[in-house]
Amino acid sequence: MNDAVKSDNILLEVRNISLSFGGVTALEDISFDIRRGEVRAIIGPNGAGKSSMLNVINGFYHPQQGEIWFDGKIRHHMRPHEVAKLGIARTFQNIALFKGMTTLDNLMTGRIIKMRANILWQEVWKGPAEREEVEHRQRVEEIIDFLKIQSIRKTPVGKLPYGMQKRVELGRALAAESKLLLLDEPMAGMNLEEKEDMCRFVLDVNEQFGTTIALIEHDMGVVMDISDRVVVLDYGKKLADGSPDEVRNNKAVIDAYLGVSHD
Amino acid sequence: MSPDILNTIEVILNGLMTGVMYSLVALGFVLIFKASGIFNYAQGVMALFAALTLVGFQTGQIPFAHLINDMFGTHYHNWGVGFNNFIAIVLTILVMILFAWLVERLVLKHLVNQEPIILFMATIGLAFFMEGLGDLMWGANIKTLDVGIPSGGSFWWEDVTRTWASAGSEYYGMYIDVLDVWAAAIAVLLVVILTLFSQYTKTGRALRAVADDHQAALTVGISLRTIWVIVWSIAGMVALVAGIMWGSKSGVQFSLSLIALKALPVLILGGFTSIPGAIVGGLIIGVGEKLFEFWIGPLVGGATENWFAYVLALFFLMFRPQGLFGERIIERV
Repeated sequence: MNDAVKSDNILLEVRNISLSFGGVTALEDISFDIRRGEVRAIIGPNGAGKSSMLNVINGFYHPQQGEIWFDGKIRHHMRPHEVAKLGIARTFQNIALFKGMTTLDNLMTGRIIKMRANILWQEVWKGPAEREEVEHRQRVEEIIDFLKIQSIRKTPVGKLPYGMQKRVELGRALAAESKLLLLDEPMAGMNLEEKEDMCRFVLDVNEQFGTTIALIEHDMGVVMDISDRVVVLDYGKKLADGSPDEVRNNKAVIDAYLGVSHD
Repeated sequence: MSPDILNTIEVILNGLMTGVMYSLVALGFVLIFKASGIFNYAQGVMALFAALTLVGFQTGQIPFAHLINDMFGTHYHNWGVGFNNFIAIVLTILVMILFAWLVERLVLKHLVNQEPIILFMATIGLAFFMEGLGDLMWGANIKTLDVGIPSGGSFWWEDVTRTWASAGSEYYGMYIDVLDVWAAAIAVLLVVILTLFSQYTKTGRALRAVADDHQAALTVGISLRTIWVIVWSIAGMVALVAGIMWGSKSGVQFSLSLIALKALPVLILGGFTSIPGAIVGGLIIGVGEKLFEFWIGPLVGGATENWFAYVLALFFLMFRPQGLFGERIIERV
């Protein structure tokens, strides 16, 4: 992991991003990058523009200004499903799962961009289509083992408790085997035990699968523990960018979080 | 068996057959509502338009003939040759796919993320537009549609049932229209195909995903717009089947678009989001209105079939607003 951080190998770079809704500025001239194989945190107070930033990367929002470079190529006005095909998966703060489907079906649907069999093959349902289905099932079962959710394989996810839903959502994002994983508050609303589990999963994904991760999180303890670099946003502007230690000791960051000191 | 019981059975059978016809229309509504949350008022007109187009291809009508003749003072009406059934049906399916694509391009695309009521209004506009277009393209006269499905009363069934009556009673056998039986068989086949498609194919999986959660579907890489074109195409084909059945039964006429209104109580009964619900709801309404007419009708002067379905739906709304198979409505406060 540390090697990846040292090498100057950039997976995603946003340059001078500005985003506004009507007269309200959500993001102002934001630039930062995400290196291959790192865990990158985006933090900031409520309303700082963190989720807007993820939505820009993910294609839900289109910035008025700025460039997004992914995997060495500039990206023009892409819609979310095209971004997904490019290799960016994500989870949401308020969980976006297919609530009527089982855990297994949710993960299988997460692999939809990996499925190739064409319509005619699907109809007769033999040969390549069948072989492909088996192959996808195998990958999905591996992820289920990895996240330790075997017991809820056949449960409709709408019936699962909150913490489990978050885990299934992570599983669905993993199923796409994407290059970059965006996690929007993966530990929000969890108890200590669930948080520890989620932390371990995030780190394991990063180490075992080599997936690059960008996450938004409010729990500073978690952020400082698991991330390689942290970018701090406040009121749509970039306040600081650096290692957890640098950020922790940055005066502007302390002011934003604790109120301005007068000394 | 006494003739009374046999008569009741006959009424129930005919109710089931009528119910299948309602289900066919309701099915188109459910498909679009599930995938996009749009109540497509134009579904009935789509059935009419599909039937008109099919007849047009069969009989070799020239589209927009009246318009062309009025503008250029010519007298074209017919190519002289029509297509055979199979080719005409394939061409009509292609027209319905083209229609689905145009709807997405020209209407839905611009109304994404609008309130459901706005999309509903758009489909009302679409319904009137299509009715006018159908008129302009193919003419307003009532047309007969025959794609070779047998019709008329079944003598075999009449003979069989006559022997069921108890000896000595005056009973002449049950009447059942062969066309209705065919309609029922085709409806069952249609539901089986749709179910297999949505359960076992990649596109079907994508359809289910979109029906469940738009945001999540986008995130896993499903294009909503492609799915909408597919869904409207499928709804167009279901409309074609409904149009063929209704058209063969009572001629292709513009009142066909009003059967859409009969689908509304069916949907309230079955639930707007359930394919089995559309089928069961249609059957209940079909049997219900026929039995009501048979038993209660004579006491109140008849013609109960016009309003029974709506009263039943109203009754349902009071006790089970989500319908028999719909998703339970839970409002968090």
